[in-house]
Amino acid sequence: MIIIAIVIGCVLGALIGINMPIIPYTYSRYLAIAIVAALDSVFGAVSSNIKGNFDLKIFISGFFGNAILSITLTWLGIKLNVDIYLAAIVVFAGRMFTNFAIIRRYYLDKWMQRRRDKKNENEKKTMGKGRTSKV
Amino acid sequence: MKIKKQELIISIIIGIMFCVLTIIIFVQSKTISYTDINALENMQETELRKEITAIKTKYTEALEQLEETNAMIKEYEETINTDKEASVLLESELEKSRNILGKNTVQGEGIIVTLVDVEVGKYGKITANDLIELVNELRAAGAEAISINGNRIVNISYIVDLSETYIGVNGERIVSPYEVKAIGDITYLESGLSQKQYGYIDTKVNEGKDVTLEKSDNVVINAYSGTLSFKYAKEVE
Repeated sequence: MIIIAIVIGCVLGALIGINMPIIPYTYSRYLAIAIVAALDSVFGAVSSNIKGNFDLKIFISGFFGNAILSITLTWLGIKLNVDIYLAAIVVFAGRMFTNFAIIRRYYLDKWMQRRRDKKNENEKKTMGKGRTSKV
Repeated sequence: MKIKKQELIISIIIGIMFCVLTIIIFVQSKTISYTDINALENMQETELRKEITAIKTKYTEALEQLEETNAMIKEYEETINTDKEASVLLESELEKSRNILGKNTVQGEGIIVTLVDVEVGKYGKITANDLIELVNELRAAGAEAISINGNRIVNISYIVDLSETYIGVNGERIVSPYEVKAIGDITYLESGLSQKQYGYIDTKVNEGKDVTLEKSDNVVINAYSGTLSFKYAKEVE
């Protein structure tokens, strides 16, 4: 259900986005930061979903709040002539990597587990070694 | 049912969020690709502002420079004008000097005195002294330009006897008839020469020499052909 919603949202967004007018280049920097922040929120949501502590309110507030905060930081950076947006990018990208690592491990483990289960079923044996080491 | 409804709401919200996200992403990429094509729009507002300021400054500077240059041109023009005036003045001065020195061919009213050797008798011969005397007389009468047989008499001119037949004037040998031209006030010149009894002409005619005077409204006297320069005489500082 959620997957379908995501796909529909993406397709709809793509369709609308293609037909949207372009924005001034000055503001594209803010938009880029907002995109990074939103992507970070998405990754965070997925990872928290895996962990089991996903909260829609937190997700929504993070999605928009991070975007707005990063935009504000970028604006401030431009005003102060300091590239603060780099800090935002570093934080968001780092968190994205962390979250991605969590997601990756979770699904890898799941996949390995499934394979092992299949093997066990086939051989009717139990592997006593436990989980494979982390990657 | 309740769970499903909640799930539906969550799905819709997430779908909307993803929709917004993709819209932003597409708009951004579109903007980037679009602005990449138009390099001019590629600049950021601040950069453009900076550029505008720089251009304005440059413009002001250029304007200042233009004004400066214009002022300089004006100055130069003024200088040129004064230079021109100076050069004109100098030229006229030079011309005057040249006229005085005898470096120019001149014309004007004057007299022509012709002296011819008389073959008969020893005394009928015209000597250098006769010519010197004549030149002296003419000068005394206010002659401005004098020439003997086309040789301009200038400040360094000399008249000497070279032999029985030749007289040297300005390094040239001349023979009878001697034609002495002088430009000046005709009345003065004539009266100076043709005084009764003691005048030059009378004196010379009495000595048995052939001297005739001729008045002319347009006497042309050639320029001095030599160079007027000092080799040894130097100006005292």
